[in-house]
Amino acid sequence: MTSPPANRQRTMFIVTAVLAVLILVPSGVGFVNKLFEFYGVIKGEASGAFAFTPVVNYLLASMGFLCLMLWAIGHGMFHDIERPKQTMLETERMLDEQRATEVDS
Amino acid sequence: MADENSKTDESTPATLPTHEELVDERLVAWYFLAALAYLFISMSGGFLMAFQLIKHNPLNGIEIFSPGRWRMVHTNAIAYGFLANAFLGMLHWVIPRLTLRPVLDRRLSLFIFCAWQFVVVATAVGLLLGQAQGLEWGETPVWIDPVAQLGLLLVAINFMAPIMKQKGPMYVTLWYFVAAFIWTFLTYAMGNFVPEYFVSGSSAGAVGGLFIHDLVGLFVTPLGWGMMYYFVPILLKKPIWSHGLSLVGFWGLAFFYPLQGIHHFLYTPIPMFLQYGAIMSTIAVELVVLTVVINFFGTLWGDGRQFWDNLPIRWFYTGMVYYFLTCLQCSLQVTLTFQALIHFTDWVVGHAHLVMFGVFSMWLLGVMTYLFPRLLKQEWYSQTLCEWHYWLSAGGMLVMASDLILGGLFQGWSWAALQPWDASVEISQPFWAVRVVSGLAIFGGQLAFVYNLYKTWQLSRVRLS
Repeated sequence: MTSPPANRQRTMFIVTAVLAVLILVPSGVGFVNKLFEFYGVIKGEASGAFAFTPVVNYLLASMGFLCLMLWAIGHGMFHDIERPKQTMLETERMLDEQRATEVDS
Repeated sequence: MADENSKTDESTPATLPTHEELVDERLVAWYFLAALAYLFISMSGGFLMAFQLIKHNPLNGIEIFSPGRWRMVHTNAIAYGFLANAFLGMLHWVIPRLTLRPVLDRRLSLFIFCAWQFVVVATAVGLLLGQAQGLEWGETPVWIDPVAQLGLLLVAINFMAPIMKQKGPMYVTLWYFVAAFIWTFLTYAMGNFVPEYFVSGSSAGAVGGLFIHDLVGLFVTPLGWGMMYYFVPILLKKPIWSHGLSLVGFWGLAFFYPLQGIHHFLYTPIPMFLQYGAIMSTIAVELVVLTVVINFFGTLWGDGRQFWDNLPIRWFYTGMVYYFLTCLQCSLQVTLTFQALIHFTDWVVGHAHLVMFGVFSMWLLGVMTYLFPRLLKQEWYSQTLCEWHYWLSAGGMLVMASDLILGGLFQGWSWAALQPWDASVEISQPFWAVRVVSGLAIFGGQLAFVYNLYKTWQLSRVRLS
């Protein structure tokens, strides 16, 4: 134990914050810059709008699935994540047993 | 045990319905038979095109049967005739059994069956009469598009009804199927209406690229993988290795797949950032595919003998190996360096056959091999014919894909060396001849299957009488 836990936590926070700033700020600036460039392409060139259609297609599809994913998380769809694979086999077994009983009788 | 039961009750009805209440077996069989009929039509179209390439077209000079038209019948019949019908039959079996609820309305199911056959037949007739729409794999005549779109909406409503009643965590198969119903509807609308009525030029080209690939990745792939996640655990009698990993595969497909279609149009006036985006997402999908393949082989681990002893399992896992190969091939061929060599060559044709027949058709034929005896309540007439069906299909496909992929490289090198076009046609002749032979092997396999099915049906009639 060379340093107390409080100091260690503080150090970890500072390192994380510095790394976050170093990574996220340039990435964010680059991304926003690209968005402005994209806007410029659409607005500045007569045929620039053709770039717009596939990107909007993708964003619409992805946004829809992002919403679905958030909904699924909110409704506990990923709780006990391995359970459905057992339930599914159990259901199949019951259906087959019932069918076999009907055929026998 | 009590806890386990209470968990099961969360997503299932209070009383267990019977299989007969859930599944309309007659409809499943009809869909499969229709699918097989279109498979033969599609293969006939492919043969005419193959014979044309080796300069032995038996219908030469007849406009209505010209190779360009038959080629479109070949691709459309396999997508909308064989795959769609076989998938619809499979869905009528799987969804009610998984959810323990029947589809919304059996009369609606019957109507959809009839309407879909009309769509496919009308498409084939329209194509032969020269009414094709100018979009790869979306050549369905313009007047059919709204009918097909309505059909897809009805399919989604009919199957989503039982799924939406599910409570609690859903099995991965249902996630894939829900996505497929939404994606197929949207993809068909995007491909058939946007370029026709709203955009033109390069923009229409970009949408066309998205349509071609989304038809594979957002219609066929989710239905195919959803189907595998259902049938493989049932046949191996053990759960999938990791349900969590299977969901990683599903969400990975959802977020990475939709952007890749533009990789069909590299080196075109489409902006480079879109082309690079398509390349990156294609490579990312390969990683997603890897998680899925690992999951299935993790499930087979310890039961490797089943690959040889259990014929449907052999169909499924052969398809998975082909799937991994085709996706690996895809992640290589979308790089700009590779694309410069293989674009417009038979490499692409080999790749397309590997994925459409080597993967999805083989999975569906495996499902039919498993379900027909259950539908007819009669074991196969001949296991030997079942084996012939498998080996001729899998072997023929391996030869065809290898032949076309290799031939594509020779064509690409010929063009890169600035040889005359005729030279590349001449060096292609041996490859095209081998393609005909391998196609005959596949055709023979399907004939064996249909004959076996007919004899099995006869046996089932005798047993009933």
